[in-house]
Amino acid sequence: MKVISEFAQVFLERFQNVADKITEYISIFFINFEKFDYIYTHVVRIILPVLAATIFLRCIFPLLRNWKQNTALAYLHMPDGTKTPIRHWENSIGRSKLSDIVINLSFVSRTHAVITYRNGGWLISDLGSKGGVKVNNQVVEKSMPVNDGDTISIAGYDMILDLSGFSQNFDESNLSDEAKMPLYKKKILRTGLTFMLILLFQCLGGIQILASAGDELNKAVPLTLIMFIVVEYTCFVVFKSLGKRFMELELLTLFLCGLNLLILSSASPDSLYKQLGAIVAGIIAYFVLTLILSNLDLARKVKYLLVAGALGLLVLNLVLGETRFGAKNWINLGFITIQPMEFVKIAFVIAGTATLDKLLTTRNITYFIGFSGACIGVLVLIRDFGTAVVFFGAFLVIAFMRSGDWRTIALITAGAALGAITVISFIPYVASRFKAWGHVWEYADTSGFQQTRTMIYAASGGLFGVGGGNGYLKYIAAADTDLVFGVISEEWGILIAVMVFLIIVFYGIYAVFLTKGCRSSFYAIAACGAASMFLIQTALNVFGSVDILPLTGVTLPFVSNGGSSMMASWSLLAFIKSADHRIRPEKVDAHKRKGVRG
Amino acid sequence: MKLLLSRAIAVLVLSILLVTGLVVFGINYVNKASTWAQYPVNAHLYRDGLLKVSGKIYDRKGNILFQIQDGKKKFSTNKSVRTSLMHATGDLYGNVSTGAQVAFRGRLSGWNIINGAYRFNLKNNTQGHDLKLTLDSDLCVTAYNALNGRKGTVGVYNYKTGEIICMVSSPSFDPENPPDVSKDSEKYSGVYLNRLLSAVYTPGSVFKLITAEAAIDNIANITDAVYHCEGEIEINGVMVTCPSKHGDVTLEKALAHSCNVAFGQIALELGGKTLQKYAEKAGFNKELKIDGIDIAKGTAEISDAEGGDLAWAGIGQYTLTANPLKMMAYAGAIANGGIGVQPRLIYKDDNSLIPNLSLNKRVLNEDTAQTLGKMMRNAVITSYGEDNYKGLNLCAKSGTAEVGEDKRPHSWFVGYMEREDYPLAFVVVVENGGSGSKVAGQVASTVIKKAVSN
Repeated sequence: MKVISEFAQVFLERFQNVADKITEYISIFFINFEKFDYIYTHVVRIILPVLAATIFLRCIFPLLRNWKQNTALAYLHMPDGTKTPIRHWENSIGRSKLSDIVINLSFVSRTHAVITYRNGGWLISDLGSKGGVKVNNQVVEKSMPVNDGDTISIAGYDMILDLSGFSQNFDESNLSDEAKMPLYKKKILRTGLTFMLILLFQCLGGIQILASAGDELNKAVPLTLIMFIVVEYTCFVVFKSLGKRFMELELLTLFLCGLNLLILSSASPDSLYKQLGAIVAGIIAYFVLTLILSNLDLARKVKYLLVAGALGLLVLNLVLGETRFGAKNWINLGFITIQPMEFVKIAFVIAGTATLDKLLTTRNITYFIGFSGACIGVLVLIRDFGTAVVFFGAFLVIAFMRSGDWRTIALITAGAALGAITVISFIPYVASRFKAWGHVWEYADTSGFQQTRTMIYAASGGLFGVGGGNGYLKYIAAADTDLVFGVISEEWGILIAVMVFLIIVFYGIYAVFLTKGCRSSFYAIAACGAASMFLIQTALNVFGSVDILPLTGVTLPFVSNGGSSMMASWSLLAFIKSADHRIRPEKVDAHKRKGVRG
Repeated sequence: MKLLLSRAIAVLVLSILLVTGLVVFGINYVNKASTWAQYPVNAHLYRDGLLKVSGKIYDRKGNILFQIQDGKKKFSTNKSVRTSLMHATGDLYGNVSTGAQVAFRGRLSGWNIINGAYRFNLKNNTQGHDLKLTLDSDLCVTAYNALNGRKGTVGVYNYKTGEIICMVSSPSFDPENPPDVSKDSEKYSGVYLNRLLSAVYTPGSVFKLITAEAAIDNIANITDAVYHCEGEIEINGVMVTCPSKHGDVTLEKALAHSCNVAFGQIALELGGKTLQKYAEKAGFNKELKIDGIDIAKGTAEISDAEGGDLAWAGIGQYTLTANPLKMMAYAGAIANGGIGVQPRLIYKDDNSLIPNLSLNKRVLNEDTAQTLGKMMRNAVITSYGEDNYKGLNLCAKSGTAEVGEDKRPHSWFVGYMEREDYPLAFVVVVENGGSGSKVAGQVASTVIKKAVSN
């Protein structure tokens, strides 16, 4: 009893103490009431991370939901009486466990044939199998169309294609999700509300910038933010009118772009108009690319156009390149300066793609290796080593997806590592970066200057930040590009900085999720290639600025200042979006029937 | 598409690598953010290398010891307080690395891991990052004056709560009018060193407490054993000498008279390994932080010592070095029934709703602590003169540590008061002061009397 009463006494005393503190705190709060910006920052810095987390969660759940749902486009009637669904536009048939249609018989080759959907019809291709492929007893030399009721014979194993009950028009534009709607209706999170939350975040953030700037406000800040909100709203309305219902990917990206503008409002308001222009151009590029990519045949033709354009840009960069911050990666077009290598990324991702039949027949990826070599070679020549690493990483991912040959990939990596070491030891500019890596505090005011400042100011922001516009890291060179993670941490808090990081990681995970239900390996490779570019850039940017990796000066997608990077990032996003084909029309028909009945 | 899904794992691996990197950064951040933010170029906290806004430093009674006013460092208004507490607060330029300004600058700056450098109303609000020390500035002044210009240190702490109430180090200077230290290098040698926390000295006879503890634990019937002292003894050709012939002595008497011959023999009986173990238990060679400040370790490398070396080690010579604070904490542990309470400098503000447990650790067996305490009490009564410490109920051990042929020995006095109302343990070191009980004992007497008169 004594112990309890003593404890209670101590507890009451301390409770009293805490209560006193709270009273004191509240009184200080009201004493400062005339200072609007203090009060505003005080409240908003807590609200913003909560908003950001809500937006993030509201966006990722719908994107990851139903990813297993992938219904049949057609059926194959097997000799044993079972029905095997055909789920993709491209399906491999063979003995291998990784085939989409597994026929576990010894006389069937590991990857025997591919059945593909092209131009409104189905096509069977022999992959050079031993047993051969026949359609209605006719030998398939290379490939042959198949129709409803046709017998496909895989080395004597007969299957009947059943198209009855399936609407065979799958060519609808990927921009419209109308067909996919019914499935989501039950548990759908309203996109409109998420969009409103994003606008709220941007408005609250914008007011914070205005409040902290006081009299020194640059007029570009409110103007750009208002225009951006108009752009976002237009974008939303246009997408909606096109029947687009699932905009989580776009919304997350708009959220990142909004943060990008908030950072620039504080760090370099002079580049706001340019950046807004780049965002608009990026959104348009995204729109156009999505449209092109939704038609596979068109996309395959555009691929060669893009690669040719990219080669042109490489040459242009070598000839006209101007050096900034040690890398000759800018060209001046008179009215505007661009970083051509950013645009080469788009072609690079698409250059490595292939449809499943091509992928399984031509294991040779010499052309892609050649193109990659050209890109990386130019990057080394212009001394943009960070971007070279981004290209090389994406090359590894794409090459692996193309060939599945990890031994060759390992060999290439070893060779590249050797080359990299040579480069590092012979070029003093790079060598100095590497010298500081891992112990930047020993070079705090020389080669570790940017990294130590990033860490100092990231730590100053705490969880919630010191308030947008109140930071000091922005006065350090390249703060709004290379050190942007630090700027977010300082001004908006480490919570939001981590959220930005996770959004980009999420792009990667999303791309992997999409692969399973992809119509064509073309899209799967493009999406994974684009996502790996995002991931590698993010790793180099964020970890470089906090001394986990060497500082290489690449941009953080959508968040760093830079017009070329912004446009290229939006374009790469189109590749990811185009791989999202998870819901099949069959279910829609089922729903329509239900609808008629109901 | 199964094939491509299996290959898309490459992207998943990449994502996982990124998340791993983020976790690494997170761990770095949690561990090091405080250090990062305290880098003096941080414009949120510093201007020209000086904290922009600093919390005030108070002593335990609420007297201001340090503050920053209009961008200038201000210390106490009283010159002797400023001088006596210079090592506690630190000087104008941050030369004292254990001073509160440097050691606790994270707290003074108002930085914390949740809010970073953000402060609600930047200018006026220092509340929440003021710092109250456990020190009593009056007692510190008394202690500094008692040292009377001699180099050395005085420490007093409460062995029940761990609060250090007195911490002075001499030489010192008035931090508001710093002298040109380089001009008089002899007078100011080691002036930026807080000798209580950062210095190590040869312990001399105060180490006999540890030898005695080991003896009580390890030698059967040690309380009845009798050692014979002829004033000197030769061990393997090495002479161990006493100031006088003590004749037949028990352990108690040997401790009271600090008989080297007896303790030399005891050390030989114990052996180097046992003695090493007890020295480490008492804190030698061990890392200790009080409120984040590193305390000098002290060294004991006696496990391989034999013969004469071991005998000299048992009486606190040989290669032993001891940190004063650690010896004080050891005396506190004896006083507290063998349980050592971690000393501390920051006054607990009792803000948390849940009463917290302090870092207590058993240093000695309870019985051993009691026996040893009685012997220390006996030493005061029979050897140091109870008259000098009347009514204090003092238990102590003196030390006169030889530091070389041509120099006077360091003078040590370590002990505690066996009083419920003033559970204080203390240490005094006067460098080259001479006799431990006379010189350091005199300082201790003055300081302890002042402490109980408050």
